[in-house]
Amino acid sequence: MKEFFYRLFMNRRREKYWWINLLVPLVSIFLALIVGGIFIQSTGRNPFLAYRLLFNASGLIPGPYWRSSFAELLLSSSMFIATGLSFAIAAKGGLFSIGAEGQFYVGAVVAAFFGYSKPFAGLPSIIHIPIILIMVMLFGGFWGLIAGYLKAKRGIHEVIVTIMLNWIAFYLIQGWLVPTGGPMAAKVETGVSGTPYISPTAKLPIILSNTRLNISIFIMIAVSFLIWFLLYRTTFGYEARAMGHTAIYNMEAPKVSGVNTSKRIMQIMFLSGAVAALGGSFIVLGILSQFPPVFEGGYGFDGIAVALIGQNEPLGIFLSGILIGALRTGATSVQIARIPKTFPQIIEGLIVAFIALHELVRYLLLKLAKAKKSSVTEGSVE
Amino acid sequence: MQLLNLAIAMMLDFAAPILLASLGGVISESSGVVNIALEGIMRFSAFFGVWGSAVAKNQWVGLLWGIGIGIVVGAFHAYITVKWAGDQIVSGVAINVVSLGIITYFLELIFKTTGYSPSVPYFGSAANRISLTFLSKIPVLGAFSRLTIFVWLSLLLTGGLHFLLYHTVLGLRIRSVGENPTAAETLGVNVFKIKWFAVIMGSVFAAIGGAALSLGTMASFNNTGVAGGKGFIALAAMIFGKWTPFGAMLAAFLFASAQVLQFILQATARGIASQIPSGFYSALPYFLTIGALVGVVGKAVGPAADGIPYKKES
Repeated sequence: MKEFFYRLFMNRRREKYWWINLLVPLVSIFLALIVGGIFIQSTGRNPFLAYRLLFNASGLIPGPYWRSSFAELLLSSSMFIATGLSFAIAAKGGLFSIGAEGQFYVGAVVAAFFGYSKPFAGLPSIIHIPIILIMVMLFGGFWGLIAGYLKAKRGIHEVIVTIMLNWIAFYLIQGWLVPTGGPMAAKVETGVSGTPYISPTAKLPIILSNTRLNISIFIMIAVSFLIWFLLYRTTFGYEARAMGHTAIYNMEAPKVSGVNTSKRIMQIMFLSGAVAALGGSFIVLGILSQFPPVFEGGYGFDGIAVALIGQNEPLGIFLSGILIGALRTGATSVQIARIPKTFPQIIEGLIVAFIALHELVRYLLLKLAKAKKSSVTEGSVE
Repeated sequence: MQLLNLAIAMMLDFAAPILLASLGGVISESSGVVNIALEGIMRFSAFFGVWGSAVAKNQWVGLLWGIGIGIVVGAFHAYITVKWAGDQIVSGVAINVVSLGIITYFLELIFKTTGYSPSVPYFGSAANRISLTFLSKIPVLGAFSRLTIFVWLSLLLTGGLHFLLYHTVLGLRIRSVGENPTAAETLGVNVFKIKWFAVIMGSVFAAIGGAALSLGTMASFNNTGVAGGKGFIALAAMIFGKWTPFGAMLAAFLFASAQVLQFILQATARGIASQIPSGFYSALPYFLTIGALVGVVGKAVGPAADGIPYKKES
């Protein structure tokens, strides 16, 4: 547990004021809320009302409708954690993947396909769901592997390929597979637009009655732990991190010491794609029950923010995923205070900005700590 | 011939915002500061451009407002990444995320809508286009007879930036800071000043690109459509062009040509070709980009110190 915390709170500096590392993310969140409040105030609306509405509906604080909002919170968090982990795995290995968005789409559409199509739809849940999840991870991983292969074998920058693959996934799914007449579209006479609804056996089991909360959050707890284990307890993780630390030097050091970097790059990108796709499957298997004609994405790009707030560490991402999930769950309620529901995105961006400014936050806190200490010692001298 | 001219004009129109943002990326990354906030900056300036144009009833004021917000956002990025040596990716993501939230907020606050802003005076209207009628009958050159100012700006700035980077002292300093800041510092170059300059300049370029989206051929801000990934395409074009102005131009033109080709193919498809789902046509430019990278361009190497925060030895 101690090591968890060391890794989580940055730079692993064993300095005198080590607790400052623990404070930096918390202070960043606090500062972001203050700046967001000032912003609301300056546009002539009431920040206190906004925050009260936001947090009451977020599922973090017990209240009248806590049960259902808490369920919604964990539901959306599990998707943010998935895309966040996807970005972090690549980042740990020195790769900058913007591809979670497309992999999320691929995961969602594959989950819908294996959820409704015939030979699988009759199976009992206990077999059906694992089959779906495995297929989702294979396809998602393959989508990530394309970028990994081109990077490893041809030296093509992964940023370009992942951006292009996002759009290719988007257009192929929404311009070919899903619209009326497409190979995956529901038959016109059923009156359903988008893909057919998945069979009941494909739905993720509910774990809190009268809500939509399902096992996706448990899956993400397990996946977060597995990724932590992979990164810090296996050769794969050791070599991946070595590549990440030397990415700016073209990974020369690990290459010299015998790491097969091209193999590792492909493995990392496969894993990254598989995890993001898993997040995409949750939205179909747990929330929508089909792939709709208009799919509201964005989870992939928010995953980057989640990973950065969580310092690219599995436990940190789990916590920041919960935070972002909470902000999103409470988002619609701020409309009562005449504030657009995208307001939480401003907070999210500000948190990331203050994370980027961690040197400044650290500097201020350190100054504060030293000032306090010197005043205490002066007092004792007297 | 008319069709060819039309296609080229369309391609230039489509390429201009991407190229401008891509040039912004080139100058910023030449000095060693990664700017993945291009997307966010474009959104900011597209919105502020429309806002300024609506307030003053004049598209030039809109452009100035767009550039103004570009300077502000660029200064924000520079403050984090240069002054406090913050992580450049983190800062860029912050700007992108904030832009998503804040623009919708402003749209609702100012125009009382969450979708489209009302129409405003813009550069694409017949009176405001740059008219060179004597060219209109000539093949290829005819495409240049009725373009918006943004297309001309994008072409001129490409040349201008090339000259700045490779033929002036300032350009040499910018590049040296991006390659080896410590060496530059020992030679008396003020690394921080150069980085501040390059980041803000880059942001201004991207801001002009953003204004081109909302004040170029359209006359309003569309919350879902504007930017919509063009900033990331610009980022890709910059890497594709190997961090050089003319490289970025070729990449932007390639992508825009593929886009125009896609429109034409989709519109003129007959027989079996018309049976192909529209998704394949829409995805074509992205396939072609990857194809071009695999087939022709290959490995790209950026400035050596790109993305590494510079801290003075204390």
